[in-house]
Amino acid sequence: MIQYNTFQLSNGLTVIHHFDNATQLCALNILYKVGSRNEDPQKTGFAHLFEHLMFGGSENIPEFDLALQTAGGESNAFTSNDITNYYVTLPANNIETGFWLESDRMLSLDFSEKSLLVQKNVVIEEFKERYLNQPYGDVWLRILPLAYKEHPYNWATIGKEISHIENADLDQVKSFFFNFYAPNNAIMVVAGNISLEETKRLSQKWFEPIPIRNTIIAPYKQEPQQTEARFEHVYSDVPVNMIVKAYHMGGRLNEDYYACDLLSDILGGGKSAQFYHKLVKEKRLFSELDTYISGDTDPGLFLIEGKLSKGVSFETAEAAILAELEVFKKEPVSEKELTKVINKTETNIQFGDISLLNRAMKLAFASFLGDINLANTEIDHYLAVTPESLQMVAKNMLVAENCSTLYYHAK
Amino acid sequence: MTQLNRSVAPGFYAIEKLVFPEYQKIEIKNEVFLYALKAGTQAVIRLDLIFDAGLVRQLQSAQANFTASMLSEGTPTKSAFALAEALDYYGSYFQTRANADDAVATLYCLEKHLSQCLPLFMEALTESIFPEKELDIQKKNSLSKLSVNEKKNGYLCKKHYYKNIYGANHPYAAFSNAENIQAITRETLQQFYQNNYIQGLKYVMISGQFSESSITLISTHIKNSKFEPKQFQQPVLNSLLNPGKHFIEKSDSVQSALRIGKSSISRSDADFRKLQFLNLIFGGYFGSRLMKNIREDKGLTYGIYSVLEPNLYGASWYIDTDINTKNRTAGIEEIYKEIEIIKTQPIPSEEINTAKNYYLGSFLKSLDGPFSLADRLKIIIDNNLTDNYYPEFVSILNNTTAQDLQGLANKYFSTDDIVEVVVGKK
Repeated sequence: MIQYNTFQLSNGLTVIHHFDNATQLCALNILYKVGSRNEDPQKTGFAHLFEHLMFGGSENIPEFDLALQTAGGESNAFTSNDITNYYVTLPANNIETGFWLESDRMLSLDFSEKSLLVQKNVVIEEFKERYLNQPYGDVWLRILPLAYKEHPYNWATIGKEISHIENADLDQVKSFFFNFYAPNNAIMVVAGNISLEETKRLSQKWFEPIPIRNTIIAPYKQEPQQTEARFEHVYSDVPVNMIVKAYHMGGRLNEDYYACDLLSDILGGGKSAQFYHKLVKEKRLFSELDTYISGDTDPGLFLIEGKLSKGVSFETAEAAILAELEVFKKEPVSEKELTKVINKTETNIQFGDISLLNRAMKLAFASFLGDINLANTEIDHYLAVTPESLQMVAKNMLVAENCSTLYYHAK
Repeated sequence: MTQLNRSVAPGFYAIEKLVFPEYQKIEIKNEVFLYALKAGTQAVIRLDLIFDAGLVRQLQSAQANFTASMLSEGTPTKSAFALAEALDYYGSYFQTRANADDAVATLYCLEKHLSQCLPLFMEALTESIFPEKELDIQKKNSLSKLSVNEKKNGYLCKKHYYKNIYGANHPYAAFSNAENIQAITRETLQQFYQNNYIQGLKYVMISGQFSESSITLISTHIKNSKFEPKQFQQPVLNSLLNPGKHFIEKSDSVQSALRIGKSSISRSDADFRKLQFLNLIFGGYFGSRLMKNIREDKGLTYGIYSVLEPNLYGASWYIDTDINTKNRTAGIEEIYKEIEIIKTQPIPSEEINTAKNYYLGSFLKSLDGPFSLADRLKIIIDNNLTDNYYPEFVSILNNTTAQDLQGLANKYFSTDDIVEVVVGKK
C-alpha cells in the first residue's frame, strides 16, 4: 500500500507527498502533461527534443546537472506519447536543492541558441543510434503510420523524420515552454524521508511564486475504427524475416485494458506462454515470438512480433499465429492459466514498489490518469478479469480488419 | 516575506558517513555459506545461487552460456514446459546467467510463494538433463540471434575489443561463432554441469524482506541437495594483448561504434578505488569530461562513457561511444585530447568536489534497496573485501588530492599499449 497526501498550490500545481522513513533519500518527480501526441504533425519529435533542452540551463541556474551533482543528486527524464516526466533523487537532507532546480526551470528556461543547436545534434545522433543503425530499428517508425491514420500516435516520440528535428527553432521552443510547462499543467510528487509539513513549506516557497499560465491543449483527431486489414512489406539488410501484427485495443482507462494486458502475457510472457511453447518450441516456426501492449493513454496497440525460423515462409508463420489466436476466441482460457498471469502481475507490482522512484512515478501517472487510487488498486482491476471477459476481448480485438501487418523481409 | 533569491543555491550537507547494513552469514554445509540481507518493505525474495561456472571454467566456447541457459530445460520427471508452467503459476521468475568469473541462478518470488517455488527451483538446478530436443531448438535460436548480433556495430566492436585486449583464446573474449554453437553437444553440457554446478556451488544469497523461517527453509533445501563446493583451482588463461588500431568495415552504417581502452587493475589493487574516482571524473557520469565536451558542448554523439571493468583475472579500462561517421575523426581526436589534458593538468578542486559529492550520493542510493545492496555484497564476497569497502569511500575521497589523481592518470591512462577499435563505414 502506497500512502500519500495530496494538495494543490494557488497556481494550480498538484503536489503529492509520499512518506517513507526507511530510506535516506528523497525523490522529486514532475510530470508535465505533454507528450508527442500534442505535437504539430509537421514538427514531430519536439516534445522529446524539448526534454533535452530542460537540462540546458534555466533563468537563474546556468547548469542544472552541475548544481544537482554538487549536492549529491542524480536526475533523468523520459518522454512518451502522452507525458514528459522528470525526476531527481537526492540525500533526504539536501532535497531543497531539487525544489530550487525544478522550480527554476518551471519558471523559465534561458532559451539559449547554443543549447538548442547542440541538443538538436545529440537527438539526431540518438535517432540514428536507436532507429537507423540497428537491425529492425525502424520497425516502430513503420508500424505506427500503418496502424494510425488520424491520431498523433501516427509518429514515434523520436519524431517522423530527422528534418523535423533539424528545423526546430527558438520561437517554437519558447511557445512550447510557456504553453505546456506550466504549474497548472504539471503534477509533482515528493517522496521519501521528508514530512508533509516540510513538503508543503518547500513547495510553497519555491513553486507558488510561479505564475499560472494560459495553457491550451489543442484537440487532436481520434483514430476512427479500422475497417480493413492493412499490410506493408519492407526489404532490408537483416539476417532473418520478421513479422509484426498490431491490433487496436482500448485506452488506459478502458476496463478491457487489463484483459488485453493479461492476454498478452498468456500468449507471449515467458517460457510457459502459449506462443513460445507451441510455435517456438513444438513447431519451431519462430526463433523468437513476443506479445506486448503499447500501454498508451489513448487507445493503443496490442502487438505480436516474431522472427521466423530459417526456411519458414511468411504464409506458414502467419497462419500459425492466427490459428493460435482462434483458440482464444473460441474457448475461454482455464482458471489456472488466468491465475498464473495474475500471479505474475502481482509479483511485478510488488517488486516494482520496492523502488522509491517507481512509487513516485506511479503516483504521478495515476494522478495524471485522473485516479490517483490506481497506484494501489491496479491489482484489483486485474483480479476482476474473468476467462469470459478475456475471451470477449480476444473475439472483438483479434480480427483481420483491426490489424496492421508488417512483413520485414531479409534481403 | 523576503524576496526569494533564485540565483543562490540552498545550503546542502556533504555526506559524511556511509553504512553497509548488517547481514547474516550462516554456514549451511562444509564451506558453503548463506548470506541473508534484509531491506525494503515488500515481502519479496531474491534467491541467488552462485556457482564456479563462469566463462573462465569452460573448455570450449559457448559451453558456459549454453549450460546456464539450459538449466531450466528439463529434469527426469518434468519437461521444460512443465517446469516453466509450475514456476510461472506462482508468479516467480527463474533466471540463469553465465558471467566472466561465475554463473548465477536466481529465483524471484513473493515470500508467500517461496515454499511452492523453492522445490521446483532446486529440482531444475540439481536434476538438469539437457534434453537433445531442447538443445536443438536452443542451438537453432542462438544461431538466429547471432546472425542479428553480427549486424550490430556495437556487438562487433565489443567483440574485437576484447579479442585484442585479452587475446582471441581468452575466456573473457569468448564470443561464440556459428561453429562453436554447432559444436555443443549434450555431453559437453553434462560434463560442465557436473564439474562446475553440482560440484561447484560457491555460496548462496537471499535479499529482500523475509522471516527467519524462510532462511531456514532455504538452508535446509541447500543442505539436503547434492551441491558440493569445489576446491579452488587457478584457471589457465592465455592472455595476449594486441595493441594498436583496428578497423572493421561496415559499409552500410550511418554511425560508427568506437571503443578505445587498455588493460587495467583489479579491485584488490590499492589504487583501485581512487582510479574508479578518476574514471568517474573522466567519463563515468553525466557531468564527466567526455560527456561535457563531446556530447554537451559539441553534440557529436548521443552518449559517451568510460568504464573501469575489473574481472577476477584481468581488468580493462575503456571509452565507448557511437558516433556519426562524418564526426568520427573529430570525436577520436577529442578523446585523445581529453586523455592528454587529464594527464598533464591538475583537476580543478571544484570539479573534484562536485564529482566527490555526486559519487557519495550515488553510493548512498546504491546502499538503499535490497537488490542493489545484494549486488554490492556479491562484489565484497567475490573479491574478498571487507564490509567497510564502500563506507571507506568517504575517507578515501576526502583524502584524494589533484596530485594523486594526476599521478593515477599518468600511471593508468597512458596511451602506450592502447587498443582502438572502430566499426563503421570507411
